[in-house]
Amino acid sequence: MDPVTAMYVAQGIHGLAYGMILFLIASGLNVIFGMMGVLNLAHAAFFMLSGYLGYQAVSLTGNFWAALLLAPIATALCGVLMERFLLGKVHAFGHLGELILTVGVAQIILAAVKGIWGTENLSLRMPPILEGQIALAGLNYPIYRLFIIGLALVVMAVMALLLYKTRLGKIVRAAVADAGMVNALGINVPLVFTLVFGVGIWMAGVAGVTIAPILTVFPGLADQVGNDAFLVVVTAGFGSLGGAFVVSIIFGLLSSYGIQFVSQFAPILVVAFTGLVLALRPHGLFGTREG
Amino acid sequence: MTGLLRPAAWLLLACALAALPLALGPYYTNVFVSFAIFAVFTASLNVLLSFTGLFSFGHAIFFGAGGYGTALALKHIPGLPLLPALLTGVLAAVVLALILCPVVARLSGTAFAMLHLAFAQVMYVIALKLRAVTGGEDGIGNFPIPPLTIPGVASLPMKDSPQNFYYFAIVVLGLSLWFMWHLTKTPFGQAQLAIRENAKRTAYLGYHVPQTKALAYVIAAAFAGVAGSIYGLFHNLVSADGALGAVVSFAPIINIMIGGIGSFFGAILGTAVFQLIEELVGRFTDKVELVMGLTFVAVILYAPGGVLGVVRALRQKWFAAPAENAAERRSA
Repeated sequence: MDPVTAMYVAQGIHGLAYGMILFLIASGLNVIFGMMGVLNLAHAAFFMLSGYLGYQAVSLTGNFWAALLLAPIATALCGVLMERFLLGKVHAFGHLGELILTVGVAQIILAAVKGIWGTENLSLRMPPILEGQIALAGLNYPIYRLFIIGLALVVMAVMALLLYKTRLGKIVRAAVADAGMVNALGINVPLVFTLVFGVGIWMAGVAGVTIAPILTVFPGLADQVGNDAFLVVVTAGFGSLGGAFVVSIIFGLLSSYGIQFVSQFAPILVVAFTGLVLALRPHGLFGTREG
Repeated sequence: MTGLLRPAAWLLLACALAALPLALGPYYTNVFVSFAIFAVFTASLNVLLSFTGLFSFGHAIFFGAGGYGTALALKHIPGLPLLPALLTGVLAAVVLALILCPVVARLSGTAFAMLHLAFAQVMYVIALKLRAVTGGEDGIGNFPIPPLTIPGVASLPMKDSPQNFYYFAIVVLGLSLWFMWHLTKTPFGQAQLAIRENAKRTAYLGYHVPQTKALAYVIAAAFAGVAGSIYGLFHNLVSADGALGAVVSFAPIINIMIGGIGSFFGAILGTAVFQLIEELVGRFTDKVELVMGLTFVAVILYAPGGVLGVVRALRQKWFAAPAENAAERRSA
């Protein structure tokens, strides 16, 4: 295969993998926003925290799989604590209060990881089976990126099944549509909120551990990836999961081809795309309601 | 206030500000200049937040534009006088706002806030990557600072003369605050408040909502540019972290929160309180993020109305007569 095609394919795989990571973060954000009307600005910080916890787990146990299992759960517990003890108290003050509270928590997490792990880039070794590349039809595919895509698809499939095929999923979807009415039907909506919040953070946590071997873990991780994830939600439109998926893939491809062709200004492409979409459709590509 | 009292109060304030460098000494004079810069920056965000209901997580882009505009102009145009350099910074911020406002004036709420967070991040990355223009991480430093020349009257050197710079900065920043304060009293200011309260109804009344928002946005950007420009001159350094970092965007929000949203003087009071907190905490730790994060969380949990909210609540509790209290409750 000629090198130009190989480059396009390789960057395409990178872009897809990054898009999947974005979707894992953005879908949690989006469902939380849809249900509670809270844009959780600490979401990206939890994603980063999970990366650090994953690093810690790997350096303690030497096992990547243990890290992938434990770190997101520990992170989700932190998120649930925040939801129960902090976020629940500022609902009365409206959206501004929630935004500010979550920014505050994000800053505290940032300070905490800097204090505990320092400001260096920490690298997390990927498991040996996933190193290297596999050859298929004359092209080489990096196994780890394929693993990311596969893992994200599995998580998504499980979530979709939960959301659309179970009673709990029905309750969640109903609460997204009208939380007050579901509450009136005798369902403990605050408990459902907490559960959804925890699952959303868990997904961001999975993304944090899986991306760590590629990007390394550093205090700017939350800003770098998190901003893209927030923009996915804004661009897709609040409350649209399918839209978030499409926009995540677009962003992933924009970033990877952007790095290839206009390396210095790759981050601008994504924002320019968002600006363009919002200029034409202020509610986002697939959005129907105001943020 | 009666006819004489008000001018007397202004005169007293002017005298106090004029005497300040003598009373405080150089270190605290500089702290005060720093406070004045952030007071203007905070007041400029307050034009959006308290008076138009637009919440921006990236107001630093205009602060940075002002700082970089002035610094670049002074570095590359030899012999540029002080006021044109200041205006260049302001103009940079205004142009940036004019470019952005067709998009942002149609947004509100969370989308507006998030898009600005992204803009700020992009500006920050550009400032780091465009090393040839912005100096990367080191920023632009040691650019010449011209004297303030009033033709035919005097030429006041600014460099190495903190006292002269203090007077210059206080006059510029004071005028900015005065202008923004008067803006709230104009019909335009009232239209802003109407948009904050109910944008749809304001549109039905015949006001152009996006245009009014855009104008408020440009004014807010211009004064953030003033603050950024003076900041650059004050430190003789403009860097990505100092002028465009996330902390720069969050600082005015936290100031407004501490003072109490919805009030012009609350924003300035909040700036003073947070400056004090930073000054005191800065002696023990350099963890800016931790201080900011904890302040955000503490204020929103325990005093969502800020200092003014607490004062109002206490006054209600202690000083209001029971009958008056009841009457107020009935009218509320």
